[in-house]
Amino acid sequence: MSDFVIETRALSKRYGSKLALDHLDLQIPRGRIHAIVGANGAGKSTLFRILLGFLPPTAGEARILGRDSGCLTPDDRARIGFVNEEHTLPGWMPVSAVIAMHRRQYRRWNEAAFASVLGHYHVLPEQKVGQLSRGERAGFNLALALAQGPELLVLDEPTLGLDVVAKRAFLESLMYSNASEDCTVIYCSHQMDEIERVADNLIILERGQLKNMSAPEDFCARVTYWVADIPFKGPDQQLVPGLLQVQRIDGLHHYVVIDQDEDFGEFLRAHGARSVQSMPVSLDRAVNGFLAKNHAAPAAA
Amino acid sequence: MRDLFKAEFLRFRTWAIVFAVVHLLVLGFMTRVVDLAQQPDLVYQVIGGVYVLTGLLLGMYQMGGYRRPNAWLNLLHRPLPHWQVAAALFAAGAVLLTIAIALPTLTIAIWQKTMTARVLDTRHLWLLLSALLIAWCGYLAGGYAMLGHKRYGASALVFLALLMASNAVGLGAIVLQLLVLAWLAIMIVSAFKPDLSSPPQNVVGIVATALPLQMAGWMLFMLICFGAELVWIMQGTHPNNLPTPIPGSAKEADNAEPKDLIIAGLRNSRAADAPLWREQAAISDVFQMATNVRWNPVRNELTNKDPMEFDDDTRRIRWVFSHDSMRFEGYSLADFRAVGRLGVDGDGAFPTPPMIGPMDSLISRDTVFQYDSDAKLVLPRLRVPAGETITSIETFDERILLMSDRALYFYDIRELHNGDGVLTPRAHVPVPGKTGNLERVDVMELLDGYLVSFVYSRYSHNGDGPAFQEVLRVDEHDRTVSVGRRELGIGYGPVFRYSNWYISPVLFKVQKFAVNLFAGYVPVRDFQRPPVLPAAVGIAVGMALLSLIGGAWRLRRVAVSMPARLAWLVACFAIGPPALFSLWLLYPERERLDDLPIASAATA
Repeated sequence: MSDFVIETRALSKRYGSKLALDHLDLQIPRGRIHAIVGANGAGKSTLFRILLGFLPPTAGEARILGRDSGCLTPDDRARIGFVNEEHTLPGWMPVSAVIAMHRRQYRRWNEAAFASVLGHYHVLPEQKVGQLSRGERAGFNLALALAQGPELLVLDEPTLGLDVVAKRAFLESLMYSNASEDCTVIYCSHQMDEIERVADNLIILERGQLKNMSAPEDFCARVTYWVADIPFKGPDQQLVPGLLQVQRIDGLHHYVVIDQDEDFGEFLRAHGARSVQSMPVSLDRAVNGFLAKNHAAPAAA
Repeated sequence: MRDLFKAEFLRFRTWAIVFAVVHLLVLGFMTRVVDLAQQPDLVYQVIGGVYVLTGLLLGMYQMGGYRRPNAWLNLLHRPLPHWQVAAALFAAGAVLLTIAIALPTLTIAIWQKTMTARVLDTRHLWLLLSALLIAWCGYLAGGYAMLGHKRYGASALVFLALLMASNAVGLGAIVLQLLVLAWLAIMIVSAFKPDLSSPPQNVVGIVATALPLQMAGWMLFMLICFGAELVWIMQGTHPNNLPTPIPGSAKEADNAEPKDLIIAGLRNSRAADAPLWREQAAISDVFQMATNVRWNPVRNELTNKDPMEFDDDTRRIRWVFSHDSMRFEGYSLADFRAVGRLGVDGDGAFPTPPMIGPMDSLISRDTVFQYDSDAKLVLPRLRVPAGETITSIETFDERILLMSDRALYFYDIRELHNGDGVLTPRAHVPVPGKTGNLERVDVMELLDGYLVSFVYSRYSHNGDGPAFQEVLRVDEHDRTVSVGRRELGIGYGPVFRYSNWYISPVLFKVQKFAVNLFAGYVPVRDFQRPPVLPAAVGIAVGMALLSLIGGAWRLRRVAVSMPARLAWLVACFAIGPPALFSLWLLYPERERLDDLPIASAATA
């Protein structure tokens, strides 16, 4: 049995003249909840489609649960749960019929896990799936996925479009389910507050490349926020080490930098800062700053 | 699998029931107005077209919904073999179509059989099965059009074109429909995989997908040629649309006045009496005829070209032919009650189903029967020798001209009126060509016989027939000699004439074979295809070589194994441009990274 649930080597995928995945080397170990974040177009969904065998790679290898992604068997698929942002379920079917279908299809069906997740929602068996609210459908989808007893559960932006209450219910049902403890969860989201709550490991993809893989708090610790009172113009941005973001607000320069220690304060002072103050950043700020660094912008900006 | 079937069935259940009810009401209305079992071909074609369209739309809608990336992933990412998922979904659709199409038609059939005196044969039940099968074919074709890659998904529609063009009769048509269904099922199973963009993964899938695609390429070329011909016609230089036909051409012969045609046919005649005949032709009546029995009914064929019924206005009886009893079954036009049967010479069975002809005649494959209303009898009156098939019957002055696929027979019409036996022909002229190519026959009576001109030019424009005129003389002793023959100009060069052939001689044969599979012998489709002109052969070889070169060039840019590469090269040469067309569409160019200008992220 492979030590990694997901393993890619030099995985690339090309769409026309663009690279969605750029020689991606990624090994995700078994266990825990791994969050994958990245801007739109970072290659997250492409990665999942290749891993599940729904898209051929342009180059490289992709393995999931130790199996080549292009050769997944029905048994392999039983071991991999997948929930996407659309929560694609047959809207014309009653909830009870969908449950019965999944119960028969998945040999490792876990009724207790299903009940524990669905208990967070007011879903009636006779209701049609199409009549469920978006939040209920998300919860129902999660319950189905967890009850399958998967070794690997992939959640691709599962809370997209959910309101605050539904989002909280979804996260709680995921976090407090015993079933999620028995499997590796890949959680893909743009919501940093969610990731901060659930993730043990933070994977950042940018333009199809792996940029970070560490615990969220470790990543946060790498990013610092500096406020400097620099009269007139600050240092040339090209010279600022580890610069992620810079803003000038009310005459003060606000810097978000990565992998900088106290020496950065000295750097600012050396460039005319009369006062310098540093502070930690939230995961949201850290990731946003990180991703914004290379985000496309008009040439004049 | 059972659950998926049930789920899919529930999805469209209400629509199927609504369709079935509306369908039943429409059929119910129609059957009160007309006898649905005795409609001409066109009516069945229109109804069948509606069934095919229903299946097509269901397949497209159903699979179109699943084809969205997330829906497709959700459908196939489950612990079931993909073919089982496909089988469940399509079985549900097939059952829904059965409810929507077969149940109402069967209900009407049972009503007609049990509650009316109308004829309902076993063949009509086969027709109902056929209706369901073509709806299923449309359904699978629609499903494949959505599942297959957008570059070639529509190629499944080729099979619907085949069903429309097929000449298969009776159970042969059912077998053909089952074969089409099986082929489409293979195409769907080979397309039903997670990665919809990739070509089929095994040899069977590739062959099953490539052949219809190649045939679609062939048909596309035909459409282009048709478009070019329209432009040609618009320009006013098309040989068929010239203000004056080209002298000595088939077109001129087709349009000529009968007497002018006889004169032209005798122009080069070496017969001693030829000058005299030419003079006589200018002042005599020359009778023109053509094939007018274009349909020879076959027992248990599914549909009729025309209704197999006639009315006896004196007795107020409608006689409808039953393929089961091989006799006419009558019902009163006054009260619609059954009035008994009508067979040959009393109650004898007809040897083959007859069609309704002129002068109270009933025409079977080799016999013309006459209905005598007073005696309520059907008697055989004219008969061609065994093995021949009647293709035309006309009257000319005091003569009856009966033509088969082998000879033209002359009878005295007075014998028909004065007796009730089988007439003996006064003379006969063997026909000098195949009925499928026969355009017209012109007959001039001589003092001691007849001059008969045959023009064979039908389908000469596309290489399916010769173009010539032959004049034969039959004397009073029933001896026939050829007294003149001339080749007719066609007016089309080999580029146009053989365009359906040189693009792919193999596919040309295949389409002929497929269209005529289970068709049996029909004189009007019996052609004498002359040898292909060397110029056309040259074009075909050139095209095959170009296809081979194109295939080799393309294969360097796609990811296929070496055996597949060799097989495709052979196919490109043997099948020609349609094979290259299919190769191009089936295999997208291999994705590479080395030619990427700037690596930049795409929307994922």
